[in-house]
Amino acid sequence: MTRQVKVLVLTGYGLNCDMETAHAFKMAGAAPERVHINSLITGDVRLEDYQILVFGGGFSWGDDHGAGVVQAVRIMTGLGDRIRHFIAEGNLVMGICNGFQTLVNTGLLPGFDGDYTRREVALLHNDCGNFRDQWVDLSVNQESPCVFTKGMDFLPLPVRHGEGKFYAAPEVIHRLEVSGQVVLRYAGRDGSPAQGAFPLNPNGAVNDIAGICDPTGRVFGLMPHPEAFTHFTHHPDWTRLKAEGRILQEKDLPGLNIFRNAVAFFKK
Amino acid sequence: MQARLEITLKPELEDAEGLALQKKVKDVFGIELDAVRCVRILTFDAELTEAECILARDRIFCNPVSQEASFEPLALDFDGCIWVGFRPGVRDNAGATAMEALSDVLGRSFGPEDTVYTSRRYCIKGKGLTEKLMDRIAGELLANDIIQQWQVFTKESWDVKEGVGLILPKVRLNHEPEVTTIPIDSDATLQAVSQARNLALNPNDVPVIRRYFLNGQTLALRREKGLEQPTDIEIEYIAQGRSDHCNHNTFRGLFRYRDLETGETEVIDNLFKTCIQNPTLKMQKEKDWVVSVLWDNAGAARFDDHWNYVITGETHNSPSNMEAYGGAITGIVGVYRDPLGTGKGARLIMGSYGFCVGELDYDGPLKPRLHPRRILDGVVEGVRDGGNKSGVPTPFGQVTFHSGYMGKCLVFVTALGIMPKAVAGAPGHEKTTSPGEHIIMCGGRVGKDGIHGVTASSETFSAHTPAGHVQIGDPYTQKKMHDFLLEARDAGLIAFITDNGGGGLSSSIGESARFAGGCTVALDQVPLKYEGLDQWEIWVSESQERMTVSVKPEHLEAFMALSEKHAVESTVIGTYTDTGYLEITWKGKTVAWIHMDLLEEGFPQWEFDCEWIPPKLRGLYEPVIGAPSDYNGVLKTLLARPNIASKEWIVRQYDHEVQANSVIKPLVGRERDIPSDAAVIRPVLDSERGIAFTQTLLPTYSQIDAGAMTAAVIDEAVRRLLAVGGGLSEMGGVDNFCWPDIQYHPEKNPDGRFKAAQLVRSCKALQAMCEAYQIPLLSGKDSMYVDGHLQGPFGETRKVSGLETLQFSATAMVENVWLCQSMDVKNPGDRLYLLGETANELGGSEYYEWMGYVGLHVPEVDPEAFLPLYQALEKAMKMALVNSAHAVARGGLGVHLALVAMAGCRGLNVDLGPVKIRGDIPVEREDILLFSESCGRMLVTVSREKEKAFQELFDGLPCACIGEVLENDILRICGRQGKELVHTCMADLKQSFKKPFGDRI
Repeated sequence: MTRQVKVLVLTGYGLNCDMETAHAFKMAGAAPERVHINSLITGDVRLEDYQILVFGGGFSWGDDHGAGVVQAVRIMTGLGDRIRHFIAEGNLVMGICNGFQTLVNTGLLPGFDGDYTRREVALLHNDCGNFRDQWVDLSVNQESPCVFTKGMDFLPLPVRHGEGKFYAAPEVIHRLEVSGQVVLRYAGRDGSPAQGAFPLNPNGAVNDIAGICDPTGRVFGLMPHPEAFTHFTHHPDWTRLKAEGRILQEKDLPGLNIFRNAVAFFKK
Repeated sequence: MQARLEITLKPELEDAEGLALQKKVKDVFGIELDAVRCVRILTFDAELTEAECILARDRIFCNPVSQEASFEPLALDFDGCIWVGFRPGVRDNAGATAMEALSDVLGRSFGPEDTVYTSRRYCIKGKGLTEKLMDRIAGELLANDIIQQWQVFTKESWDVKEGVGLILPKVRLNHEPEVTTIPIDSDATLQAVSQARNLALNPNDVPVIRRYFLNGQTLALRREKGLEQPTDIEIEYIAQGRSDHCNHNTFRGLFRYRDLETGETEVIDNLFKTCIQNPTLKMQKEKDWVVSVLWDNAGAARFDDHWNYVITGETHNSPSNMEAYGGAITGIVGVYRDPLGTGKGARLIMGSYGFCVGELDYDGPLKPRLHPRRILDGVVEGVRDGGNKSGVPTPFGQVTFHSGYMGKCLVFVTALGIMPKAVAGAPGHEKTTSPGEHIIMCGGRVGKDGIHGVTASSETFSAHTPAGHVQIGDPYTQKKMHDFLLEARDAGLIAFITDNGGGGLSSSIGESARFAGGCTVALDQVPLKYEGLDQWEIWVSESQERMTVSVKPEHLEAFMALSEKHAVESTVIGTYTDTGYLEITWKGKTVAWIHMDLLEEGFPQWEFDCEWIPPKLRGLYEPVIGAPSDYNGVLKTLLARPNIASKEWIVRQYDHEVQANSVIKPLVGRERDIPSDAAVIRPVLDSERGIAFTQTLLPTYSQIDAGAMTAAVIDEAVRRLLAVGGGLSEMGGVDNFCWPDIQYHPEKNPDGRFKAAQLVRSCKALQAMCEAYQIPLLSGKDSMYVDGHLQGPFGETRKVSGLETLQFSATAMVENVWLCQSMDVKNPGDRLYLLGETANELGGSEYYEWMGYVGLHVPEVDPEAFLPLYQALEKAMKMALVNSAHAVARGGLGVHLALVAMAGCRGLNVDLGPVKIRGDIPVEREDILLFSESCGRMLVTVSREKEKAFQELFDGLPCACIGEVLENDILRICGRQGKELVHTCMADLKQSFKKPFGDRI
């Protein structure tokens, strides 16, 4: 039997999706642990003992100074070198919602030219002006090096955020597009791009961008919540799908498949 | 040094906050502004070097991708500029996290004097921006003078170098804390003190208090402690403990009920005991799933063999009425401490909201402090930030508009948690304090917050007096504490835990010390937000985000270490004892010493006279109406009524899926836009078991009879739970009463006796229904005095009272969430059934309300007749025979046919001919059939293959097939004589349903 992949899911300071994120990794066959940010900074828990590091959803430090900003400061001050080393060693880093916001504020994304310190993109207040919980349809860029979305082309997931509008200068956007670092795009139910139309694109993200990765494909950030689609009854239409005889089995749950891909990466 | 950092979005980026203000100005004042840009301001009052300031700007506060920032005023062009900041002492959450971030980046800690203050300025372009208009924009849209201050600048008055200046809202009390003694030489003296200090002591309590302190034996013992006359701390403690809020004197009162028609009289000694406690305790004995009720912060019921769930509901009306955002966020964050303080602590798994406000388009002569529009915006945002930032899903809620709530709005907040059956080898729901254990205060610090509630609002402000009476909840601090305390619980470190809510330490320690038999508290150890608080203020302050925990000496070290890891402040402030006394010391000297039993006994019961005048005697009658000719028009009009129309804009602001426990969401249907009957959550992720939750409220029925209102509310809750797949056998309830003042006063409350009779009738109906449906009341609260004195156009005041309101929250178990169902019709060809009978019961209905009538025939509930139907439906759901289920409620059959059709985006062909009718409804009055709100009815669809099995279950019961689901999108309803009444497409129906609030997102 192969050794289980160890996953570190950060907790503390207002983070809040840690339990279901850990659960999703457990369902995917990994051994997740929920670890307080301070335990990692003080060294009580060693990052080197894990293969996947997850910045999950929530409101770190209340998100009062831009979502994920203060968490990014704490992480880079206390752990910057260790995380960069962790990435260089071939491990995976994932940021979901507040975690994505944190990754772009640390500079771990987009990570152009192997520089994991530059802030190049931002996640701004939604154009609609409010926090919003809704399900979106996402098309997956199959040209992307992202290891988390391998073999996927389309997935529905919920978004739940007030600051999710992906924004960067045109040359940065261009570079992300050309390098295949744009992983997920808001789309219509047929998979065609939302082209900015609300509410298909729920926040006004430039080029409908919902998730990006670094050039290696091993650092991945996304606004939607894959950990919230790991059970058939999570889907907003599940009673209807059931009445139509279209029950999704556990192996077909797209949210869960993102975590399976991450775990499978280490089992090759 | 002091410095002011201004931050704004880069000019090429759209400013969503600015656009929102532009829109509000247009909506409220009808003025088109050209542009609004917002500037966030951080004012530092801390030991920082210039280099450190620049580092903080570049590393933390300014995002180089999207923002620009400067320590000089930013040169944004404007015609007018409004600055808005907090008053001293108001919780500045962003300022606090700014200090944390500074500390991180600079690698050093700061002193208590070092502070960051956040504020904003709005740079406005537009014609005709006078100072007067800006003052109105500030006062009516941007700020609330209770917690905020503002300044307006024109181009001419703006100093480009100084900007808004350096405004530091620091609290400076310049006061030496002092304990004073209270004279008690006569009842009149003490009563005068009560008035002067805003203690609201009941005159009947005064002699009891005096007797206690004047007792010779007590006096002798007090002298040994260096005390004689009562201290201000002692009197404040007693006043808190005896308040209606803490002691529920109204519900525990003596009610003399008289029916003015029949002359019959009845005396009810203690409504709470008679109608709530006794029936619930009796049910608890019979039901092993009822784990813990009516003593703790929340009730507990069995979830499965390993877990219990807990539930409670609260209101936060008066504070929300003063400052909507602050009141509501404090309310939701506050109710979330109740599960956390239940047993040894429960993890939060969901919350819900209920808002009752005046009519949004009110433009009459009365001047409420805040217009209903502003109240609703504020409470929606407050619960949003409080709930979302707590990481707790909000999958259910309701909003009700009625002019009576302009006197005082209602904000209901409900919380559910889950706790392990066993914690460190002992039952998780049990807790106690023991002599020798440490009293620990965790979480936030103590300030002048919430002292004596809203009475302080009439005091005048100076530049440095804290505006403490209205608070702003801090979900971030509480979430940290929540995570910490659950880890401490699982490590077996918590002996007892309770929250600090109303009454603060006086209530949390006073109550917890009863288990041990006494306590001694060193008040000088309590960490303060700022110096200068009097001892009694520390004792009764309601500063938020605090829990009181009892920890055994051998666990202290581990507890404090865990607290530090989670960055939560915990302080030992005393010890539980078995002396029989509550003792408070200040720097070693005893300043309060009161027998533990004082609050338990000896105080006289409150008394109420109740006069019931039946509706007919009050002159209520059925209006004379001829049937309409355009039913399409009526239906669309009802769908667009504010109480029925879509409130999707609110629902979507609430995270209802965090924790991944969502099974049935608040909005359902093909386009996910129709409100669900109930929410279902699956709180244990590796289990298929679920909890169904709903809440109901039908205040307009109280205009006829609050007893009928109560029965209908509970019946509707049962049906809503059934509709999603909840079982009948383990339903739990939470009663939240919001009632106008019931104490008769010839001038101030001339109809007090009637309102008291309404309360009695409501409580009796509550008891009867809960017994009939076997629903134990797991928790409940009452909030009296839903009255307001509003100013009229000529300076006169008019009393406005809210309708007698009961919000009923209910839970049911779902054995397997795969058997849950939603209300949207699904497949073409499915057969549509109406369960239950329809009667001529339009009294208090939406239909009558639209026409301006009340009516007389209010819906009645007959549980004996309804239950067999419900049991059959429960079976059908378990056998997966139905494709959709929905409770027929407000608006009647017509409205609810439209709702299930709109949800499914499918047409319906409906024939009213087979509808089961109770009593007599003339054939020409199909409006009665379509809009009567008779209870006990459900709409269900069944596929043709399952129809036979379904019919067998309902053999002999009032159940009629009234139509079928169509492939197309036309709702067609034919009357009993075959005449087509309604023929309209989904797009038209949805347009009506969504239009009223359609411009809100």
